[in-house]
Amino acid sequence: MSQLAEFTQQKLIRKPILAMTHVVYGYPSVTESLSWMRRLLEESVDFIEVQFPFSDPVADGPSIVAACHKALEQTLDVDTCLSQLGELARDFPESRIVLMSYLNPMYRFGLEKLAKRASEENIQGLILPDLPIEAASQYQQACQRHNIDPVWLVTPVTPTERLTMLASQASGFLYCVARSGVTGHSSHESKAKDASLDDYLALIKQHASAPIGVGFGLRKRSQIEQLIGKADIAILGSALLDAYNQGGQNAGIELIKELFH
Amino acid sequence: MQSENGFYGQYGGSYIPEILFASQQQILTAFEEAKQDESFLAELNKQWQQFSGRPTPLTFCANLTEHFGGAQIYLKREDLNHSGAHKMNNVIGQGLLVKHMGKKRVIAETGAGQHGIATALVAARLGLECTIYMGAKDIERQYPNVFWMKQLGAEVVPVTTGAQTLRDALDEALRDWSSSHEDSHYLIGTSCGCAPFPEMVAFFQSVIGNEVRQQSVAQFDQFPDRLYACVGGGSNACGLFLPFLDNKEVEMIGVEAGGKGLALGEHSIRLSHNLGQPGIAQGFATMFLQDNAGQLQETHSIAAGLDYVGVSPIIAHLAETGRIKMTYAMDDEVIAACTLLLKKEGIIPALESSHALAGAFKDAPNLPKDSKIVINLSGRGDKDIFNVAKAVQDETFPEFLNDYLASYPTRHLDNQEQN
Ligand SMILES: Cc1ncc(COP(=O)(O)O)c(C=O)c1O
Repeated sequence: MSQLAEFTQQKLIRKPILAMTHVVYGYPSVTESLSWMRRLLEESVDFIEVQFPFSDPVADGPSIVAACHKALEQTLDVDTCLSQLGELARDFPESRIVLMSYLNPMYRFGLEKLAKRASEENIQGLILPDLPIEAASQYQQACQRHNIDPVWLVTPVTPTERLTMLASQASGFLYCVARSGVTGHSSHESKAKDASLDDYLALIKQHASAPIGVGFGLRKRSQIEQLIGKADIAILGSALLDAYNQGGQNAGIELIKELFH
Repeated sequence: MQSENGFYGQYGGSYIPEILFASQQQILTAFEEAKQDESFLAELNKQWQQFSGRPTPLTFCANLTEHFGGAQIYLKREDLNHSGAHKMNNVIGQGLLVKHMGKKRVIAETGAGQHGIATALVAARLGLECTIYMGAKDIERQYPNVFWMKQLGAEVVPVTTGAQTLRDALDEALRDWSSSHEDSHYLIGTSCGCAPFPEMVAFFQSVIGNEVRQQSVAQFDQFPDRLYACVGGGSNACGLFLPFLDNKEVEMIGVEAGGKGLALGEHSIRLSHNLGQPGIAQGFATMFLQDNAGQLQETHSIAAGLDYVGVSPIIAHLAETGRIKMTYAMDDEVIAACTLLLKKEGIIPALESSHALAGAFKDAPNLPKDSKIVINLSGRGDKDIFNVAKAVQDETFPEFLNDYLASYPTRHLDNQEQN
């Protein structure tokens, strides 16, 4: 079993659902983002999903886009980021850090080097939302060589055949996008009638042996409650960023406590 | 040009968020069917003729030819399309495909507004809802186009993220599509984006080159020796070049925007001078203007339609294999070329197309007198009136604007009185 999957299983013995909190690296500055991650880890969140900013984050809504653009006013470096995350990972062995970014900055860094460096720093999972599995064989091999998990995404409109393929290939965890659209609140709220989340998660569970993470649009306690028993990890992204923007670290921690108490 | 599973050499492909997979597959299938469907192709040809005025002429330029004393210069008159640019060829094609797929709404990105207007025109004609994403800065710079889009019934959404220009508009169009994929089609304006968009847009634009094949033989008994086209996203270049790909004797020259200089941020040269680097973004792999960390960068051109950060994977591949020769023209050379065409031939070229003119004018004097070159005049220049007036420092233009403003009914009451 993959390191991340095993970690998840162990943790689930004591908790109904795990929390993955999202942080944009470098927002509003590198130091502040690292301090925010440290605080989250001190509050013992189970996972942090760290987004390494890209200039053109097409799967993200306004909150995360603005944070990425703000972060990119400084020069950010993938290698430095990984070293800094590694330090956090060593200081907080009871939690896990995964790295999310778009393909281009990682492609320029080198996917083989990315997998190697991530593994060295004990960053056990990588999420690249614009790298489809069909185009990912080298990346998959690099991840396998370095014993880290490439995390795949499925969505409510993923055709069943493809969903089962992705679910069967999932390692670490399977990132289930809860609804159409981009992350967070945006002007592009979907009008589509997505299948019921329960049915969708049930279908995934049939085919996935890896843990199931659910993200996109989670911001209320009732939504987390609805996921208990059907998913293993709830991913909190834009809602946390919005709280942080409004009331700093304390407001963010309050939101987490309210959602996951 | 047929791709290999969406790839042209190392460029192209489909790198989109998982949420768009099903919609992308639907377009792929619909396009494969449409290409083979006689009735679809007949309807396409009919709309090209009856709505856009095709075929467009191939015009011999006697005065320019004499002026340079070298190659015989012909213009392919895409400026005579409805809406004043080649953009129409593509929007008619994709518009019909949208009807075919049964979708009700189109989304498009636009820089200068040319593709936005073309999309709004076709949406109005086909009874489709239309949302246009346009950078807030571009809206300021190109308000007349925004005005017409709105009059045509399109919703124009200002994009305020990033540099607030074309690249950001494209990102935002993709975000809209991610939530609206079930009833909406992303009607991309150039031969970029995820597969099959580059191939599909190139297919619809190839009507340009296909006409030139016939017209050149009819008018001067041979294929042209050289073809010139400006390269923004690459669609007018694909349109002129691809039908001649197998005619090895036909040389092809793509002209990019050199802007104000070769420093990053001053130009849009992705191919001709090793200034771009391979990257994967906005759905596809190509040469992008980016920094060492893979962050996409700002671009500049006096022609808003050429300042895209990436370029068609088809053009990137053909430039890499040497089939197309790439060069660039600077802003001031472009104004000079535009002015020369006005004076010598009585044709008002778009500033985008003036890049192709500038590129060709540099070569023309040195080419044999019996050689024939065809320059793609991708669009007409009426839209550039503000930019050109500024560039030639017309003294009366500001006066005109002041007078116009002074007499503009700003109060509600004045408005009513006028109506
Ligand atoms: C008249 C004209 N020519 C050329 C272009 C550049 O696009 P492409 O390279 O796709 O032909 C544009 C884009 O807006 C245009 O309006």
